[in-house]
Amino acid sequence: MRLHWLELILFSTYAELRAERARSYLGFLWWIIEPAMNMATYYLVFAVVLKTGQPDYVPFLLVGLTFWQWFKSGVSHGGLSIWQQLALIRQVKLPLQVFPSVQILADTVKFAFILALLLVILWAYGYKPNVTYLALIPVLLVELVFTAAVAYLVGAMMPFVPDLRFVIEQVLQVVMFLSGVVFSLDSMPPEMRRWFELNPIVELIDSARDILMYARWPDWFALGRVTLISLAFFALGAYLIQRYTPRYVKLPT
Amino acid sequence: MSEPIIELRNVGVAFNAQLRMGAPQFWALEDVNLVLPRGARMGVVGRNGAGKSTLLRVIAGILAPDRGRVRREGVSCQLLSLALGFVPYLSGRDNAILSGLMLGLRRREIERRLPAILDFSELGDFFEQPVSSYSTGMFMRLGFSVAMQVEPDVLLIDEVLSVGDTEFQKKSGDALRERIHNGTTVVFVSHMDAPIKQVCDCAVWIEHGRSVMQGPVDEVLAAYHAAAPAVAEAAQ
Repeated sequence: MRLHWLELILFSTYAELRAERARSYLGFLWWIIEPAMNMATYYLVFAVVLKTGQPDYVPFLLVGLTFWQWFKSGVSHGGLSIWQQLALIRQVKLPLQVFPSVQILADTVKFAFILALLLVILWAYGYKPNVTYLALIPVLLVELVFTAAVAYLVGAMMPFVPDLRFVIEQVLQVVMFLSGVVFSLDSMPPEMRRWFELNPIVELIDSARDILMYARWPDWFALGRVTLISLAFFALGAYLIQRYTPRYVKLPT
Repeated sequence: MSEPIIELRNVGVAFNAQLRMGAPQFWALEDVNLVLPRGARMGVVGRNGAGKSTLLRVIAGILAPDRGRVRREGVSCQLLSLALGFVPYLSGRDNAILSGLMLGLRRREIERRLPAILDFSELGDFFEQPVSSYSTGMFMRLGFSVAMQVEPDVLLIDEVLSVGDTEFQKKSGDALRERIHNGTTVVFVSHMDAPIKQVCDCAVWIEHGRSVMQGPVDEVLAAYHAAAPAVAEAAQ
């Protein structure tokens, strides 16, 4: 990739965050308040009202939601980005991977705030920092690549089937419940759980919980497999965007 | 005539009319032949819907031909786009940087040109304010000032020769004409005769997506008028 496009991605990310901050009274405080409210909702429903009685449920839920929301917002924003920029790409020649990348980076900056908040909450709960925190680096990197991969794939299809935007939020909602974010997958029979573990998000959230709650190193073999899947999908998504670029330009307004 | 830098051979471009399955295709360009020599100032004439703007986007490399061939000699082509990628909530300065990056400039090149942009756009302190607070005139002035910073090998212009209020129209028109006559290769689309005569030294005539004639600007305009008297008169 040429340095020039990297400059464009970084400055666009800054512009995106800055414009978003300017669009409300509380500005970037919303980056924390909004997900915190979302977490509070799940906490109220599942911990207080439904009394999901599993030990450590609150940290279990918070870690799951934090890592899930990063993926979810990256996919829903990144997935829309090329479709939203169709007018622009009729005017100028750009590598279109720029647009989902900007959205994902902007969501990553916001995620950084929430991750910091999560760590503070966990420490307050008595889950102390430990040496396995080092493994957070690969886990975060792999989740970033996987998020970008799914966003690229959705983003590549969206201009052809803009109707997808009505479906994507619902699909993500279902995937969330199937990814062990709110309910532990441990309660299901092992042969069924094996199928669920094919979902990279399950593996990533499991790793995050191992590290943050139990001071355990993640399952490196499983993480390696997820890395390969993520890289393959990422390459496929980038290729599809490249390949369909001449067709996006011709889509009716 | 100097060496050709862009050549179109039997180029056709098809679009889908609607976003649904099995929608009929229509050919915005059917069969266009064109040779653009280095340093030429080429006008594109033709009626509304003849395919002039589509042709410009093929030359820019934004549209790929569905048939025929485009040969480009490693030159940069840029459509003159005003306020490209502007974000309402950002300051004039940030928008200038963002737009410049999209137009292919490096970050440090834009930073270096920011004083010139500020000066030409006459925005003063408003340069640091969000562009959503600008009047239409201020917005266009900034857009034009940024667009003028890009120096492609081939400049493609679709109808716009000047922008803004009367005073800025003269200033922007002068700046653009100076750029055009400074040896840049230019392709200029217009449905009016006067600006084409003023700017161009050669022309191509497009009719129903086909190139009918390419040659010196006077000859092409004369032939175009002879073939379509009513339309041509309206253009004069």
